[in-house]
Amino acid sequence: MSRLLLDGWHVVLGIETHAQIKSRQKLFSSASTSLLSHGSNTNFNAFDAAFPGTLPRINPKCVLLALRASLALNCHVQQRSTFDRKHYFYSDLPVGYQITQHYSPIALDGYLVLPSTGKQVRIKQVQMEQDTAKSIFESRERTSYIDLNRSGSGLLEIVTEPDLESPDEAAEYVRTLQATLRAVGASDGNMETGSLRCDVNVSIHRPGEPFGTRCEIKNLNSVRYIVAAINHEIERQKALLVTSQPVAQETRGFDHHRWETFKLRSKEDAPDYRYMPDPNLGVLAINPAEIMHVQRTLPLLPEASRTRLIEKYEPQGVTRDDIDVLIGLDAQSDNGALPEITATAYFEKVVDNGRRDPKTVINWILNSLLGHLASQEKTFSSNHLSVNQLGEMIDMVASKELTGPSAKLVLRHILSNPPSSASLRQLAVDMNLVSMTKSSSQTGIEPDLSEICRRVIDAMPSEVAALQAGHRNVVNKLVGGVMKETRGRADANTTRSTILSLLK
Amino acid sequence: MLRACHRNPFLVSVCQRRTIHSKNASINAFVAIADNVPNPNNITVGVKSNICTSELTTTCSSGILKVHFVSPFNATVVDLLQASGAQVIGKTNCDEFGMGSLNINSVHGPVVNPWEPTERRSAGAAREGAPRLALGTDTGGSVRLQLRTAASLALKPSYGLLSRWGVVPYADSLDCVGILAKDVALTQKVFDILNVHDPQDPTSVPSSSRNKGPTELRNLRVGVPQEYFPAELSPSVIDATKRTLKDLKAQGVTIVPVSLTSTSYALSANMARYDGVQYGTRVSPPPGSDLSKVSDVYSYSRTEAFGSEVKKRILLGTYSLSADAFDNYFLQAQRVRQLVKEDFDRAFHHVDVLIHPSAIRTAPLLDSASDGLDSYVQDVLTVPASLAGLPAVSIPVRNSEDGWPVGMSVVGQWGADDLVMKVGQLIESIQ
Repeated sequence: MSRLLLDGWHVVLGIETHAQIKSRQKLFSSASTSLLSHGSNTNFNAFDAAFPGTLPRINPKCVLLALRASLALNCHVQQRSTFDRKHYFYSDLPVGYQITQHYSPIALDGYLVLPSTGKQVRIKQVQMEQDTAKSIFESRERTSYIDLNRSGSGLLEIVTEPDLESPDEAAEYVRTLQATLRAVGASDGNMETGSLRCDVNVSIHRPGEPFGTRCEIKNLNSVRYIVAAINHEIERQKALLVTSQPVAQETRGFDHHRWETFKLRSKEDAPDYRYMPDPNLGVLAINPAEIMHVQRTLPLLPEASRTRLIEKYEPQGVTRDDIDVLIGLDAQSDNGALPEITATAYFEKVVDNGRRDPKTVINWILNSLLGHLASQEKTFSSNHLSVNQLGEMIDMVASKELTGPSAKLVLRHILSNPPSSASLRQLAVDMNLVSMTKSSSQTGIEPDLSEICRRVIDAMPSEVAALQAGHRNVVNKLVGGVMKETRGRADANTTRSTILSLLK
Repeated sequence: MLRACHRNPFLVSVCQRRTIHSKNASINAFVAIADNVPNPNNITVGVKSNICTSELTTTCSSGILKVHFVSPFNATVVDLLQASGAQVIGKTNCDEFGMGSLNINSVHGPVVNPWEPTERRSAGAAREGAPRLALGTDTGGSVRLQLRTAASLALKPSYGLLSRWGVVPYADSLDCVGILAKDVALTQKVFDILNVHDPQDPTSVPSSSRNKGPTELRNLRVGVPQEYFPAELSPSVIDATKRTLKDLKAQGVTIVPVSLTSTSYALSANMARYDGVQYGTRVSPPPGSDLSKVSDVYSYSRTEAFGSEVKKRILLGTYSLSADAFDNYFLQAQRVRQLVKEDFDRAFHHVDVLIHPSAIRTAPLLDSASDGLDSYVQDVLTVPASLAGLPAVSIPVRNSEDGWPVGMSVVGQWGADDLVMKVGQLIESIQ
């Protein structure tokens, strides 16, 4: 398999991802896991604070979620795995060691497929481990504060083989991993809120030569930073190698103000963690029947989901690009709040088993809805416009009860205000935007379309004269006049035919 | 002194607390004494200072917790005892974090042996002031060796039976809560109260695996392990052992010599949490110190507050886990441990229990220089049972040489705690 060349160099990348396990309680303690909104030091117990005499007790929910993630990543699940202590001193590690799975992790030898190319990225292992507390440095007070909320929360560490070859591939891997973890409910996978962090290993070498020395870049918490850090690191290593200087094996960080990587520690400073089996925790034994049961209850994964959507809707006029944009909407929930339902689920609910035309629906979502949201600097969320509201809007346009422009006015109104559960029809009526039709005028509620046309005809004599002289397109000006009068509620075609018939 | 007599099986002296205060000044057995004991008719228990109690300090006899550290919770064994009516009368002195066996490595000062030959004849009086019941911890033998100072019986149960929740660990896979009491009957009663599965302790054996083992003494076969009679055994110990075995034979017990060949092979992570941040002693770094590495900041507290024995063992443990030494020390130790267990398993195919001396000599003088080799030889007698997680009871036995009590250990297969206590009771009755 020929490897990708970037400017004459082969780039070798491996990614270690830490994803917070989406369980209510922590990995070895019964304290609750925390959201960002929780006050500091409100969710911890004596074990998390490392009080003497406390002992760990594994949370079976974490094991289940680790199983789901491992199977979604096509791993071989180890029926027996163990826990080890990784020792080092740091103020965000109250007990002085982290309980992790160094010698025998829960899963090995899996892979993740990158949708754009079908490339398989090999997963070396998946392991469970504790998260540390959070330390916050207040520069004004020159004091570090420790928040124990996160101490002991469960993490999944997912390690790839060095199969990635470019920053773009790395970005796609991370996005696909996020989507996969979310699909099985193992993690929220939000980099901005900290429930997903990546360390990237980077090395470069000339074709035909052995792999170069790798440097690890730690704690990258957005895809943008990952791409930027890799790019900077490639350039840094290139600059050294072309001048025949060696690349030192280092652990580096990424400074997102200066947009470059910097040295954290060298190989000599690397600590000896003195890994030791934790004597309080025995072997984690998972029987094959349980593994099979979890496998059967896994939901459809993003790759399979995409295939299904293409097979179902492409014949009806929806393009693959449309579908990819739709799928991509969920991967980009940067505001940390997940939509109530996914964009694809939203789409399918509005289509409602063929009740509405998929092509029309997707156009409304991708063009009108997203467009309006973008102009207000918002991202997609099913909270903004409910499935029912969008469905009604599409129906009313189809039955000509709303003109296209009117519908867009209603949409803009809805998006500019707090979410409401009012029916779209009610909102349209309140805004006085429901179309004028011949039948509505007959009930006497709406002014007669013909009346308005007559008024406009009287008000625009020169246009009428031009029309009658044979300039057929001038009728549009008259139609425009009616539209202005009715604030867009009149249907354009009906208006045109009414005007023409009045002038016969 | 009065000896109250109640239906309650836990007999107690009403004036015990006053006596404790006055006697403790010279003995230094208690590091904390409860201010009020609501119901003076109930049993009082002394709890070792490395077992958590929410009402008295839990110092582990260490400078790093001496700053009046009070645990926010009770150890499960304390809760169970209190629920049965017992009251914690005080926290007892011990070696710092349980590291040692002579109670001389404590920040509170050494414990002076209250058992003086002149008082030996009035056994009741000699035990005045000391609670009739104490909870301790046994990692390599400390509970079983306490009898030399308290002249009471000591039980180290099978590993995993008594909950370790709230017991400050020294070596997680070896630590056991031990029971010290005046006789086997009381020991058995307390054991039955505490022998309960605790879901908070991951090493607590599930209820389904706890069975009352056989306690039949007829046709009892007692094994005597050859390796437990080193040359260093003092004459008083040899004398007491010989007489015990003779008396048992007279009771119809069969004595069988056995061999536990891996005995000689048999002798850290838990100390990392004491950094002065969440609780405990904190020594601020002097002005101008380099604060860039957290471990340097911690070292001020730990250097000042840990005793020398603890420091020694931390360094030893750290070294044996380091990348260079792991294969040679830690892994080898695990293999040796497996050999020790297999030795015992083989022996228990032929015998029901093992009997051997608990200590190489009776209680040594406080100021006698401790010979490093001696303590190693001493470890041989108690550590193997800890490595194998087996139940062991140490019974004080008369000796005619110098009058001090000698400990006789009875060791059983895992789960045979009731049988071990039954044999102990037999020895007790022969005295």
